[in-house]
Amino acid sequence: MDRRQWTAFYLSAPPRLPLASVFGHMINIDHITKIYGAISALDSLTLVIKQGEVFGLLGPNGAGKTTTIKILTTLSKPTGGRAAIGGHDVEKEPLAVKNIIGVAPQEINLDKELTAEQNLRVYGMLHRLDNLGRNIKDILELAGLSERSNHMVRDFSGGMQRRLLIARALLTKPNVLFLDEPTVGLDPQVRRQIWDLVRNLKENGTTVFLTTHYIEEAEALCTRVGILSRGRLIALGTPRELKGEVGGFVLEYQENGNTRYMLCRSREEAHSLSQSKKGPIIIRESNLEDVFIKLTGERIGPAE
Amino acid sequence: MFGYYPVFLREMMLFRRRFLRLGYFFSAMFAPLLYLLAFGLGLGHRISIAGGSYLDFLLPGLIAMSSMNNSYTWIATSLTVGRLHFRTFQVFIQSPVSPCAIVLGEVLAGMVRGLFASSMILLVGLFLGSGLYFMPLFIPALLLNCFLFASLGVLSGLRAKSHEDTATFSNFFILPMAFFGGTFFPIEELPRWLQFVIRILPLAHTNKLMRAKCMGPDCLLSLAVLVIFAVIFFVISVYLVRTYSE
Repeated sequence: MDRRQWTAFYLSAPPRLPLASVFGHMINIDHITKIYGAISALDSLTLVIKQGEVFGLLGPNGAGKTTTIKILTTLSKPTGGRAAIGGHDVEKEPLAVKNIIGVAPQEINLDKELTAEQNLRVYGMLHRLDNLGRNIKDILELAGLSERSNHMVRDFSGGMQRRLLIARALLTKPNVLFLDEPTVGLDPQVRRQIWDLVRNLKENGTTVFLTTHYIEEAEALCTRVGILSRGRLIALGTPRELKGEVGGFVLEYQENGNTRYMLCRSREEAHSLSQSKKGPIIIRESNLEDVFIKLTGERIGPAE
Repeated sequence: MFGYYPVFLREMMLFRRRFLRLGYFFSAMFAPLLYLLAFGLGLGHRISIAGGSYLDFLLPGLIAMSSMNNSYTWIATSLTVGRLHFRTFQVFIQSPVSPCAIVLGEVLAGMVRGLFASSMILLVGLFLGSGLYFMPLFIPALLLNCFLFASLGVLSGLRAKSHEDTATFSNFFILPMAFFGGTFFPIEELPRWLQFVIRILPLAHTNKLMRAKCMGPDCLLSLAVLVIFAVIFFVISVYLVRTYSE
């Protein structure tokens, strides 16, 4: 995707930001709790996200990432606490919130029996968009789906469906874009395209809130990440800060047939520690997965 | 309020898509046509009701029944599947449209389905030689009936926990009402206690209005019953959308 195209597209966006949020915080989450029956999905989550940030919420399946997005996008009402987007309370002013957000959920909820163009048209009309035909044409071009505009979505590949889903969320030029597991199940090439898209959005000042359990995705895209485990925020900071907190380097070695990890402050420290280990060793820079393992004793990624 | 239009338009786009598959169209129209042919032709010449032929009696009843079935089933199924399986309903919730507009859009779509099915039956009935007289309240009763059962469809589509739930509801509520509500025979033939039960339910009133030769006070009562049901179902549906939470 061409950066100039994106810039042109976004410059044509009407300024719809509430003034307060331009100078303040885009997303305000204040002690949000969500309880399903006897299970606590979110436990007093508090988080502030500034305008223009690409924020990544990381955690294993069932940590509460999707629940957080559902509450912020007015799909789910919290059991306790408050949240606001662009200064609008998600429970008290849901329509104002819906006007400035775009959502690409984890499951591809396009109408598969309608064409790409029909899907976008219905969505645009729901948002009372002007110049709908023009906007649809532009967004389909940016998503690389122009030739497919009159094809039924059912016949699209998984990657094309995902691109259309994100294009739909971008059709209204939202101030805040929510991406729930945007690259799950996609091949590496499509994943890179979506990463490029998020980077372009960042440059255009769109606030992006994404969830993922791919470590490299969070490291590649996010200005800040929060790590969620069992409904609680257990770490928050830039990827560099978080890695620095646990030590910048990792020594991997074998012991009784298992891989063990040892966190070290420096490469030299890792080196000297490795002298006493038998068998193959690896010394590498630490990543967010190491942070997570250190904090919880579990892995983030899907079980292998 | 004008947000109803995209909601309605989407259902119409889907309807057109299904409609283009002819198999779907025939299976949807099969049951009422079967009733019309089997009862209308089979019993039609032997029985007369209220001085007219049986076919003349049956045709408005079948129109009321299929308008009820189609208005209800299409929307109940579409909402249940869209909400629980495809999760397309969530797009409405996350869009800046009022709950009232969402319900209105879905109800209008259900009405179109109901009216479409009714007019098909009507055409076949006329072709078979029924001398259907357009009674003064035929059209208003038909419209109210479609609105009422489409609203009920929205209601049950929002409440159902699974696709089977809407089918169960249909079997225990919609189907018995179709059989006892004056579609195939006048409800006066039924035992008194059953008549009482049937008169509480809406379909009997639709049937009565569609066959009524003039507007008497009891017609106004029936109209009032239909309006009250329609308002109740619609308001509950709007409330369910407003308080929607996963």
